Amino acid sequence: MDRAIVVDRLVKNFEVTEKEKGLRGSIKSIFSPKRKIVHALKGISFTIQPGELVGFIGPNGAGKTTTLKTLSGLLYPSSGFVQVLEYDPWEKKPEFLKQISLVMGQKNQLWWDLPAIETFELNKEIYEIPRRDYEKNLEELVTLLDVGKLLKTQVRRLSLGQRMRMELVAALLHRPKVLFLDEPTIGLDLIGQQKIREFIYEYNRKNNATIILTSHNMDDLTNLARRVIVISAGQILFDGALEELTSRFAKEKIIKVSLSEEVDIKTIEEIGKVKHVLFPEVTLSVPRSAVAVAAAEILQNFPVNDLTIEEVPVEEIIKKVFRGELNK
Amino acid sequence: MKKYLQIFKLSFQQEFAYRLNFVMWRVRNILQIILLFFLWSSVFKDPQTEVFGYNQEKILTYVFGILILRAIVFSARAVDVAGEISNGDITNFLLKPVNYFKYWATRDIASKILNLGFSVFEITILFLILKPNLFLQTNLLTLFAVLISLTMAVILFFCLLFITNMSAFWMPENGWAAQFLFIAIITDFLSGGVFPLDILPLAFQKVLYSTPFPYLLFFPLQVYLGKIAGLEIIRGLATAFTWVFILFMTVKFIWAKGLRRYSAEGR
Repeated sequence: MDRAIVVDRLVKNFEVTEKEKGLRGSIKSIFSPKRKIVHALKGISFTIQPGELVGFIGPNGAGKTTTLKTLSGLLYPSSGFVQVLEYDPWEKKPEFLKQISLVMGQKNQLWWDLPAIETFELNKEIYEIPRRDYEKNLEELVTLLDVGKLLKTQVRRLSLGQRMRMELVAALLHRPKVLFLDEPTIGLDLIGQQKIREFIYEYNRKNNATIILTSHNMDDLTNLARRVIVISAGQILFDGALEELTSRFAKEKIIKVSLSEEVDIKTIEEIGKVKHVLFPEVTLSVPRSAVAVAAAEILQNFPVNDLTIEEVPVEEIIKKVFRGELNK
Repeated sequence: MKKYLQIFKLSFQQEFAYRLNFVMWRVRNILQIILLFFLWSSVFKDPQTEVFGYNQEKILTYVFGILILRAIVFSARAVDVAGEISNGDITNFLLKPVNYFKYWATRDIASKILNLGFSVFEITILFLILKPNLFLQTNLLTLFAVLISLTMAVILFFCLLFITNMSAFWMPENGWAAQFLFIAIITDFLSGGVFPLDILPLAFQKVLYSTPFPYLLFFPLQVYLGKIAGLEIIRGLATAFTWVFILFMTVKFIWAKGLRRYSAEGR
């Protein structure tokens, strides 16, 4: 098997009922509901190799979660082809379900009123994990995520961060080969985020697991994902290495100049957009196509000690992705 | 099979996590039974009176019988299915190699056993306090028929419950109201939970007998009381079985349709 996930021209439409505001609107919607079709995915295609860790990024409502839900068999595709580990997810074959896991940062599978260990024991039976494997996996996960002391605490009494880590244990006891993580660090403090990130990295490396991750957390993406898929309004805008994101989308480059004597900033402003001045350092942003000319002009007309040309930091591009500011 | 055993164990623990809810539910049952007991005892003051084929002994057995049957047939956890569909918790089950119907059937059985245990306890107490004359069925063949009709009653109610609950696939916010109307009022009334159905007009009874409702409480109890015998039992069981089949297929059909409609909301 050389491809863990294959998605080809996947389309998903939802029918939603719209409700006007107020009581009157609610009553009206009972008798004549206004239906609207939402085009969540407009024919996306991509493939993922076994062991890859891919970041899904895009503004809210872009279709990231819809894609994950379709890949894990929760949603029925309106059209197109989806294959995960050579199974059709929708069929929900037990052999398929035993090899995947979907973790959603805002949903929990743990039994709320019982200690987490009870849910783990239940998952052991549901996934038919042999006792020895179960004990080994549990021991390892609990140690990595540092939740050993909390196993017998009622889930409702755990903090959000502790619960999220327990959720991960529950989701990974059966050692899924494919893991879908939807906002796994949402709402966690910095240390909590860091723990989850390190864990995801380790899990991917140790098990050669295929992981798709959606996140609004910059650090999740820059630290974990080597490949990113940018999705916006149900379409894929970019699919490639994280570093290429900049060359593909940044319309500008950054010129950093170190001056030997003070000059009038206004004269530099004619060459490019001045982003930052802290004498003797000046940072400019110039259109990609004009970068060589601009650099030459600066060298000619100003007392320059040093000059470097850099790409726009990838974080800036990702921020733009989240704001939905990128177009094809 | 072991997975359902584990679910069974957890369900028991879960019921105990909400002790107060459980106790209130039992209190409600006891109050209802006391109310019905005094109502019917005053109607049948003279043990010789017989109305609609019931004497004091049989009507009191009916009242106590209903208490036990309710515990067996009506106590079900699957009322939560609508909620799980509308808030998206059902997602957890769709992602796992577990059968959603078997899951709820297991949880229902746990709930039934717990409720049955308590109602046997309650009945013993009420029996000792009220000292009613109760009718004991001794015919083994009749008791066997009771057992079969009871099994079908449990399956019928499970299917009805699932069908009502699955409406949440289409109307996520209407689940609760539909259930309340359907289960608490209509089903209880039409299945003989409030009063024996044979005091109703004959034409109405006939129509009712072709619906699944009387087979939930009334029919099994009538068989126990010996008010239905021989061919009538066979006919009743056949009708109940037909409904089991129809409703089971309906459940499967709606489930398949509903899943396609499901949008895994709540993110």
